[in-house]
Amino acid sequence: MTHLGLVSSVSASERGFRVVCFDADPMRIAPLAQGTLPVSEPQLDELVAKNKARLEFTSDPAALQACDLVYVSPDVPTDDHGSSDLGAINAVLERVFKAARKDAVIVVLSQVPPGFTRGKQRDDRILYYQVETLIFGRAVERALHPERYIVGCADPAQPLPAPYAVFLAAHGCPILPMRYESAELAKISINMCLVASVSVANTLAELCEHIGADWSEIVPALKLDKRIGQYSYLAPGLGIAGGNLERDLATVCDYADRYGTDAGVVRAWVANSRYRRDWALRTLYREILSRIEDPVIAVLGLAYKQDTHSIKNSPSIALLEHLQPFRVRVFDPVVPASAAPHLRCHGAESELEACEGADALVVMTPWSRFAKLDPVDIAKKLRGKLVLDPYAVLKAEACRVAGLDYHTLGMQS
Amino acid sequence: MIIHQNALPKQLERVVLLGGRGFIGAAIRRQIEAQGASVIAPASAELNLAASAAADKLARLLQPSDAVVMLAALTPDRGRDIATLMKNLAMMQSVCAALEKSACAHFVYFSSDAVYNTALSRVTEDTPASPPDLYGTMHYTREIMARSLVKVPLLVLRPTIVYGLDDTHNSYGPNRFRRAAQKDGKITLFGGGEETRDHIHVDDVAALTVRCLLHRCIGTLNVATGVSKSFHEVAEVVARQFKNNVEVIKTPRANPITHRHYDVTGLIKAFPDFRFVALEDGVARVHRDAAGRA
Repeated sequence: MTHLGLVSSVSASERGFRVVCFDADPMRIAPLAQGTLPVSEPQLDELVAKNKARLEFTSDPAALQACDLVYVSPDVPTDDHGSSDLGAINAVLERVFKAARKDAVIVVLSQVPPGFTRGKQRDDRILYYQVETLIFGRAVERALHPERYIVGCADPAQPLPAPYAVFLAAHGCPILPMRYESAELAKISINMCLVASVSVANTLAELCEHIGADWSEIVPALKLDKRIGQYSYLAPGLGIAGGNLERDLATVCDYADRYGTDAGVVRAWVANSRYRRDWALRTLYREILSRIEDPVIAVLGLAYKQDTHSIKNSPSIALLEHLQPFRVRVFDPVVPASAAPHLRCHGAESELEACEGADALVVMTPWSRFAKLDPVDIAKKLRGKLVLDPYAVLKAEACRVAGLDYHTLGMQS
Repeated sequence: MIIHQNALPKQLERVVLLGGRGFIGAAIRRQIEAQGASVIAPASAELNLAASAAADKLARLLQPSDAVVMLAALTPDRGRDIATLMKNLAMMQSVCAALEKSACAHFVYFSSDAVYNTALSRVTEDTPASPPDLYGTMHYTREIMARSLVKVPLLVLRPTIVYGLDDTHNSYGPNRFRRAAQKDGKITLFGGGEETRDHIHVDDVAALTVRCLLHRCIGTLNVATGVSKSFHEVAEVVARQFKNNVEVIKTPRANPITHRHYDVTGLIKAFPDFRFVALEDGVARVHRDAAGRA
């Protein structure tokens, strides 16, 4: 019962299907059975309560005998280089092969490298791979209303088995069967396109900061270009985080090295991501750390993005690691201050308490509640005037009117 | 990127400065001695690193707890030819041989930004070295020689353009501009002086070196401020130091414009509380000290 597994299960129940939520670890199942969820997602708690009659949480593999369709969705952890550890999914798949009925359709939903699913195919099992595009903070919405289903098949010319076809059809979106390898690479291709867009945004936003252009003025023009599109990822950020995109970048580089294809542009995206991650540190250094004695820094947000408790590759955590000589005051609505890798860290109870007496405020996670902060209140609490707001959570003009020295991505201060 | 082997600064016992009587070496010596550590800085007459007996002589001098800082080199003003390259490599050969015999606690090699290709406008420690000339090749080869010393914790420092009062070189930049302004009342630029470069005051180089010694840092660090200014801007800053009008003269451009910017994120991460001397302040300090000396 991972983040992906739980969201997928609850969304399936909302679509009217009975769902067995299996995890071999009884310690994970017990709180779930009582309605205590280990992850934070909009709508998730409500849907669990609403559909509890259709949800069965169990650590008994025998319960899988009742299932026509079995999704396998353990996390595939990555190391610091983005390489996948397939040990967990190998183990879960073996367990499912033993426990599920022979006529059950087994679908790998985890993020796996091309070639993985075909390597698991066996004569006595019906095995598919399905691309998942979970976005932390929008996971339920996307599971209930997917854009399309990309289904990896042993033979895409064959029709999907009835239970699987019925389940997918219930969501009313296009279904794209293709061979296993194409589906596995499609998942990576989606992420590569997203990274490419973000890298373009980061590269040009930085230029804007130097030449007086405003990236936020340019973005609407780009989105009206049909070749780019209204949903394109053009918001500049602090590099790639969360683990999944990094995994795909590493996978593409590994395959390119193996086959001698050119992945130079992918490596450039990785380098750009690492560089942009330190934007806040460089700006803090330039404006405060290199200028005043014993500065106090307020940091809002520890999670790697809004609406999640995950801090994996979080720019906020990365920043705090490098602020060891200085006093910091942190606040995050979900992540406790104890997660901050800092010895002189004060965990504040609120945003404004974090700002008290600080020389600079850094908004490192774009939680929506931070947007409600009044810059006038911030200015009253701060000792200094510097505000770093990479994601433009606060209103730039309101900050300037409040007398704050406001810095954001893509705009000259 | 460098790693602090001492998370907290640890008092130095003794530092052996090879090339410690030069412009940068002398500044480092002053700051090490201010820390209360002893310094040995043999003159080239006492220890000629290019001589065949140098390795044994240096090995006898070294103690296991010593930090060794190697600055000695024949700079381009002493020759840009192959013979100079080979002499420089011979000096490093002696140092490496000595350190093979008598390992020290920390070895700091002063390399140069000349290891980077001049066509690169943005440089980090991850930028692959691609020296365009024999001088850069010399430094990069010396780095590799130093890295072959498996028993010795190694730090490689790659400084950008260093300026300061006692600089004996007359390379294009603040030092030459000041002398030209003093002597001729004018500063002559290549073209319009559009090229941007990062200029660091020698006291900052020394202070960073001392910090690296105290933390026993290993790895590679570009020693730069992260702020690049055009030579025209530098010339104007220098000119402003003089009461009399100093003319900044542009000349027809003979070579394409190149820029050099340092991404000093690695340095900021290593020493987030380090404060550089701003170019305007540094140039003013040099001018003031020079006037005082006169």
